[in-house]
Amino acid sequence: MMNKKKTPRMALLLGVACAVLLALASWYSVQYNDARLVAPTDLSTYVFRPQDLPMLLAALFLLLYVLGLSVWLIRGIWARKRRGQTAQTTRSLNPKLGFLGLLGFLGFLGFWSYPTHQDVTPFFFFLFFGFFGFFYEGKLSNTFMDERFRENRMRAEYTAMKIGFSILFLSAILLSRGKLLGSLEYSFIALSIVLSLVLGLVLFLQEYLLYRYDHSDSEE
Amino acid sequence: MADFVCELKKYRQLKGLTQEQLAQQVGVRRETIMRLEKAQYNPSLKLAIDISRAVEAPIEEIFIFA
Repeated sequence: MMNKKKTPRMALLLGVACAVLLALASWYSVQYNDARLVAPTDLSTYVFRPQDLPMLLAALFLLLYVLGLSVWLIRGIWARKRRGQTAQTTRSLNPKLGFLGLLGFLGFLGFWSYPTHQDVTPFFFFLFFGFFGFFYEGKLSNTFMDERFRENRMRAEYTAMKIGFSILFLSAILLSRGKLLGSLEYSFIALSIVLSLVLGLVLFLQEYLLYRYDHSDSEE
Repeated sequence: MADFVCELKKYRQLKGLTQEQLAQQVGVRRETIMRLEKAQYNPSLKLAIDISRAVEAPIEEIFIFA
């Protein structure tokens, strides 16, 4: 079995090798093969030529690499999930990761991109406001999870979900009428903004409430 | 607020245990023992039994429900 520390390095090296191979094959194709398979190609009329081999091999290696990387990532996620279920302490996290919540402000780009490009994608960046919760999760790093902690965690998750779903439900009722902002299109955009903000809020509240419950001197 | 009186502090001190030592014996954090002594946390039956065994006192004398 491959050493756990060596696996990411190996994956990176193979990725670099694939990129170099693809770059070399592309260069060869552009220089000596009329840029076949580099320029957009109609595969329905494609006829194999031996000069295509470098490009085909590079593409095959890239495909195998992506498949291997996907399998490795999925196995890693499963292993982490299994460890999480049996873990006795919370995960170790730097509270400074909470600054990733600032990415949420990218959501405001949507107010520029929608009128200019009809693109609403940036609005979904509001979700990243939820990363401010890392401030609190980081403070609870490596905390032993006894029954009171697990109970508090369930309570925090339940409260956060309840608040989130309540806001979502009320927003959906108001916005589904399509009259609040004058048009149904604006209502859908507003709903996507609310959805992203609510998901961010739930992510944040789960960590904030857990921290508050764990550190409060008296319970309600 | 839990509606019970907790005499854990008395029995723990009688046994000569610190909060930290008791917490280690019953597999919880010191903060949990602290909340228990202030009657701010209602323990599970398993934890109550573990504590009762650790301080060698009857469970109904440690946790007195009104």
